[in-house]
Amino acid sequence: MQSKLSDIELIEQTLTGNQAAYADLVKRHQRFVFTLALRFAKNREDAEEIAQDCFIKAYRSLSAFQRQSKFSTWLYSIVYTTAMTFLRKKRVDTDSIDDENTYIQLENSSSSHDVNSAENKSRSYYLNQAIAQLMPDDAAIITLFYMGERSLDEIGKTLGIETNTVKVKLFRARQRLKEKLEHNLKHEVKELI
Amino acid sequence: MNTIEEKLWNYIDGICSDEEKKAIDILIAQDEVYRCKYKELLALNQEFSKMELDEPSMAFTYNVMEGIRAEHAQQPLKAGINKRIIKGISGFFIVSIALLLILAISNVHTGSANISVHLPDNLRLPDIKNYLSKPVLEGFLFFDIVLGLFLFDAWLRRKAVSKQV
Repeated sequence: MQSKLSDIELIEQTLTGNQAAYADLVKRHQRFVFTLALRFAKNREDAEEIAQDCFIKAYRSLSAFQRQSKFSTWLYSIVYTTAMTFLRKKRVDTDSIDDENTYIQLENSSSSHDVNSAENKSRSYYLNQAIAQLMPDDAAIITLFYMGERSLDEIGKTLGIETNTVKVKLFRARQRLKEKLEHNLKHEVKELI
Repeated sequence: MNTIEEKLWNYIDGICSDEEKKAIDILIAQDEVYRCKYKELLALNQEFSKMELDEPSMAFTYNVMEGIRAEHAQQPLKAGINKRIIKGISGFFIVSIALLLILAISNVHTGSANISVHLPDNLRLPDIKNYLSKPVLEGFLFFDIVLGLFLFDAWLRRKAVSKQV
């Protein structure tokens, strides 16, 4: 059962040495942090490693959190920088990071379900598949906007960019996602025929 | 210049100005192309909003907390020492040295060297001789020896570590 205390109250308790309070904070944010990490890592094992690393880093610098923004905004900015560092460490060269064509569908990338089951051949499945094909930045913006219910301003703080840039990037990310979705669905229809 | 889609996305997100909103309202009502595009983007927007978060493994929280505990366990002794203890020890030595100095000054034989030390009349020095009994001095020396050995051990350890590096 999760705590009803606010993020700030849990942080204050953590700073007094109550580790159980931090465990509650982890439980509260782990799904989103993991999903965001998955947008970069493209496989569950790496995403889990990134997400765990983020929570440990956040714990270490919790006393430095100045509470001028939401805890989640601060935490997601840690996810972003950690994920980017992770990608660099994995020796994925810059060209391949920027090349969206390399982000072809990876099996089991965003769902642990059986991909062959007919039930999963739904819009949701195709949507996850299309997101997995996007560049990490595009996938992260889409995730932050729709799943994190972040404002453009908050997304800007998380990614360290201007609000107007976020607006442009979000528009382009949605365009690309739409194209991927249409392409995948068209391909599937052909297969069925 | 904004494309139709860009304007419509801003309209759907509710981030366009009142004037733009009114203009798009009219276009959607009157222009078939706009209306179709709007419906298409609205459907996509609803689809995107329905996306669900992925679930990490069951042991996720446990693993994070274990990571934190492991990090605490690896914390070096230097970082783990309470600063108040250091301040307490240094305070003890400062007071001891001050008392010894006062004792030394008060026992100076001024006659032979022709030096006169005038202490203020209202300064009442404690009769330290009463406190400096044999067990107190032994205790003090024992504490000094232990502290000296501790510092010597720390110095040897640091030396050994720097040799390894």
